[in-house]
Amino acid sequence: MTGATLDIGERHSVGELTDLAYELRRKLLELCGTYEGAVHIGGDLSVADILTVLFHHGLRVDPDDIANPARDRFVLSKGHAAVCMYIAMAMRGFFSYDEIVDTYGQLDSAYGMHPCKVQLPGVEASTGSLGHGLPLAVGMALSARHRGEKHRVVTLLGDGETGEGSVWEAVMAGRSQKLGNLVAFVDRNRQLMTSFAEERVMFEPYPDKWRAFGWNVIEVDGHDMAQLVDAIDRLPDPDSDVPTVVVCETVKGKGVDFMERNLAWHAGSLGADDLSRALAALDASRGTTAADVPPADTHEEAR
Amino acid sequence: MPVTFTFGEMLSARSVIGSTLAELGETHENLWVLTPDIGATLVEFRDKYPDRFVDVGLAEQACVGIAAGLAYDGNIPVVSGMLPFLSMRALEQVRTDVCYPDLPVKIIGTHGGLVGNGGSTHYAVEDLSLMCSLTNMTVTSIGDPVMVGEIIRQSMHMTGPIYIRLAVGKKDKVLYEEGQHEIRIGKGIVARDGSDVTLFTHGTTVAQALEAAEQLAQDGVSVRVVDMFTLKPIDAELIERCAAETGGRFVVLEDHLSYGGLATRVADVVADRGIRLESFERLGIPQVYAGFGEDEQLRDKHGYGLSATVAALRRAVAPATRAAADEPAAV
Repeated sequence: MTGATLDIGERHSVGELTDLAYELRRKLLELCGTYEGAVHIGGDLSVADILTVLFHHGLRVDPDDIANPARDRFVLSKGHAAVCMYIAMAMRGFFSYDEIVDTYGQLDSAYGMHPCKVQLPGVEASTGSLGHGLPLAVGMALSARHRGEKHRVVTLLGDGETGEGSVWEAVMAGRSQKLGNLVAFVDRNRQLMTSFAEERVMFEPYPDKWRAFGWNVIEVDGHDMAQLVDAIDRLPDPDSDVPTVVVCETVKGKGVDFMERNLAWHAGSLGADDLSRALAALDASRGTTAADVPPADTHEEAR
Repeated sequence: MPVTFTFGEMLSARSVIGSTLAELGETHENLWVLTPDIGATLVEFRDKYPDRFVDVGLAEQACVGIAAGLAYDGNIPVVSGMLPFLSMRALEQVRTDVCYPDLPVKIIGTHGGLVGNGGSTHYAVEDLSLMCSLTNMTVTSIGDPVMVGEIIRQSMHMTGPIYIRLAVGKKDKVLYEEGQHEIRIGKGIVARDGSDVTLFTHGTTVAQALEAAEQLAQDGVSVRVVDMFTLKPIDAELIERCAAETGGRFVVLEDHLSYGGLATRVADVVADRGIRLESFERLGIPQVYAGFGEDEQLRDKHGYGLSATVAALRRAVAPATRAAADEPAAV
């Protein structure tokens, strides 16, 4: 132990976390309505609950002491969900939401399509190219283990991203190095950019793949805040020697009916009309989980 | 334990790597050594600091990514392996995970050039071109086995990444006497002074360059041999000085593709600085997959062995005959 102390701030109830996730989605849609370029809104919406529960419940971090050695480390492996992370972190006090909205994607802004640690301190790693986050997290977890530090290293991957071979190299390394302080969340939204995942790549039986590599597997509905909180509260001790994956069943575009499980909304921009439609849809969907959204109709003619 | 050596002796650069890292592990508690299953010469470090030694098995991409993760947390990771794989299979990790955030990861390895008789899967011949193109990367290629230790020691103070290229590293000639030259990353070494032509080289061909210079000396031609062991940042001042002091005659010899490596680095300086040359010739690997054979055989076959080097130097000092020289191979 370094002896460093960390103020983790107030704890929220499941109801409060659910409201925070709603607020995060509202802000995401507003940015998607004002920014003229494309935002990865589909994948942002599928991880809004996960990032909310991490930054407001799971991660021991202090926005006023971003380099505290005792902090948990978070690596956004699916770097295209950067906007969702920026806003989740802003809501936790790391950044100014107004600054994100006012400068996103502009020349010299710290807030771009994929996170850059050099330009935005508070972000733990520069990511964007898929399949890189888990190896980075393994290195950080090894370092923590070696120093006797008790923090966790948490990374968030997209399920499509786990098609990258480098992910499985790191899955093996994390298990071989006995890193119980390593936690991977997988956003299992079952969509790639241009296709539904199972149409192109046979991911199923997905959790079994991680089990076969020796990881502790927790399966949750990634839009059910109670389940997400429970998964985090059940994480094994960081001193244990099996890394954990939390496979989160999610819906790409979650919360906005015309985006949900819709291949057209991997990335996009909302005009003023679509923004009000989207916000109305968001209100209508409050309290729903992944289980409430019907499976995608993947027949070709349905598109 | 510092290595003791004798000038001209054959020494294993790999053993120097191993002993240097084991020595530095003592003074640098944040030094880690990682390898994708190429750990034979790292045994001393592994045995002394097992907690800071990571062999990921055959997984170059994860190896470099894990090293970056360690560096993010304030450690100094050294990734040691075979360069054809570290420089290409893990290229994106080197570029995105290491160079982009400018982390102090050291990539050190063997099989730079047509060495080891492994065939083209096992020759790193594009590596310097790839590494020189990466922002923040310092790129070195070293022939003298004792120098390897010195460069590793110097690299401990660097805040960004470095690439250190060796040949096979099993049996390398000690080229420099202790204290004979100032060895500093970013500064070329005038391994042999001369006034008629400069022969720039790096790594495994430095010994061949010195031998060629000796042969030319018997003809009364004075060849300056520059060991340009740092390709990036390149020692532009030395290049400019050599142009002025050796009649504007340059030959570049390297165990790398003849376009993209040191010859290209030197040519860039010549162009950028408007240096006027009398002659410029590059000796290196043409655009072919080289095939099998011993190191020297391959260099002879592909036109950059000792006799080809001697011939190029003769052409350089006799410009009238230069027109007879073969046109360079396709770029």
